[in-house]
Amino acid sequence: MTQPLLPVADEPAASAVVGARGQDASPRVAWAALAWTLVRTDFKARYHGTFSGFAWALLKPAGIFLVLMVVFSFIFPDPTYKLQLIVGLFLWDFFAESTKTGLASLHAKAFLFKKMRVPLWVLVLASIANPLITLAVFSVVIVGFLSLAGAPPSPQGLALFLVYCAALTLLVAGFSLAASVLFLRYRDLNQVWDVMAQAGFFVAPIIYPLGIVPERLHFYFYLWPPTPIIEFSRAALVSHTVPSLIGHVYLALEVIAAVTIGVLVMRRYGPRAAEYV
Amino acid sequence: MNVLELQSVSKSFWIPDEHRNTVREHLFAAFRPRPLRELRVLESVSLTLRRGEALGLMGANGSGKSTLLKILCGIYVPDAGRVVTHAPVTPILELGIGWNPELDAVDNVYLIGTLMGLSLAELRRDVDEILDFAELRPFARMHLKHYSSGMAARLAYAVAFRAVRDVLILDEILAVGDAGFKQRCEERYRQLRARGHSTIIVSHDPRIISTFCDRALLLERGRFVMDGPAPEVAATYLAHLTRVERTE
Repeated sequence: MTQPLLPVADEPAASAVVGARGQDASPRVAWAALAWTLVRTDFKARYHGTFSGFAWALLKPAGIFLVLMVVFSFIFPDPTYKLQLIVGLFLWDFFAESTKTGLASLHAKAFLFKKMRVPLWVLVLASIANPLITLAVFSVVIVGFLSLAGAPPSPQGLALFLVYCAALTLLVAGFSLAASVLFLRYRDLNQVWDVMAQAGFFVAPIIYPLGIVPERLHFYFYLWPPTPIIEFSRAALVSHTVPSLIGHVYLALEVIAAVTIGVLVMRRYGPRAAEYV
Repeated sequence: MNVLELQSVSKSFWIPDEHRNTVREHLFAAFRPRPLRELRVLESVSLTLRRGEALGLMGANGSGKSTLLKILCGIYVPDAGRVVTHAPVTPILELGIGWNPELDAVDNVYLIGTLMGLSLAELRRDVDEILDFAELRPFARMHLKHYSSGMAARLAYAVAFRAVRDVLILDEILAVGDAGFKQRCEERYRQLRARGHSTIIVSHDPRIISTFCDRALLLERGRFVMDGPAPEVAATYLAHLTRVERTE
């Protein structure tokens, strides 16, 4: 039996960019198709391609929530404490997991860009997709939990919560763009970030209400980006209030700063990433 | 018409006497100077690839071939000079493509295929033929970590041969697979040439360069020392190698 010869490619793509120093020599890649394939294959590799594998991965944050709720409910008898805790904890879980994955994303995908020109930003942003799926599932859980607790969020509160989730995702994206490319040069950056994230868990008002901290110090707590996201989300979902305009301005500035720094660092160090792996 | 041009490209790597790869090492040695040695890999190298041309690239190990290919493919950035491309480039470097060992062959074909510019529709349509070409259909659902290097390389050739849209860069072509696979690769290669694709082939094998290339370049210590008809360059390279072996 004769072996098949491959079909020839479809019409050649239009001429690639003419450029100098680091030009686009790769075929015109459909970024959406690439991003989808990366997300799908990451999901498969992480969860063995099954939803039971995905559900199993949710046990860790769910277990931590239960433990913290049981322990700290005695310390903070506020009836809304459980609701505040679940919002804070699940948002933090996304922040911690996605920054960890984003930081290691280029290192983990070095096998791709060592032998082909690959848009690094797609690799980095696609790595955040799986934690984002988890956040989406948790958001449904949070809304369900609040509804069961007799305090369903208002449509306005839900809309604001979505905005805060988008802001958190942008923060993580900015961080990941910068950290992923720096991690190729500084191989203990993941350990440094682990320590920072552990400290950050206690800086952010997750297991304690921010009210126990003197008000004059609140500004400094809000400089840690997860803090305004968590506090604003709690206000929108649990307290049914809208945070102040100035608070939103601060949050927007933090997001803009994170994304700008991420893009600048990626543009500065990205082109030589393959030389460091 | 040129499809690819390299204009006076130079590339050096700076090798530190003392490696500092961590934040800790940088912090503790912040005020200690770190001498760097320059390793010049390419020195003002220029080449052109014309549409439909098959260009061979020969040179001893360490002559700068791999770095040159990576610059051509946009993986490395040159320190000086310009790279101008008028057509998309599909590479197979160092006998392979980057595979994810935790995924099976089908998912890896999708991953690499989309990176090489194939659409999902094209991949869905052709994935079986890609696997057949590589003779790997029975192992389609086996994770790549269980593949031999030869199997992985066959899959790489199959994807690249399917995905190529204009320029194909092959590093050590036909160095993998059995006689049947090599024959199919050669047949596919000729088919691509007949359709007007341009190719760059890197090989140590004078027979391959003479057989498959129109023109060839000989690279020595980061400079081109010969540019001419492929058989002549291949013969010169062979003579040079023989001379080196006798000297040794």
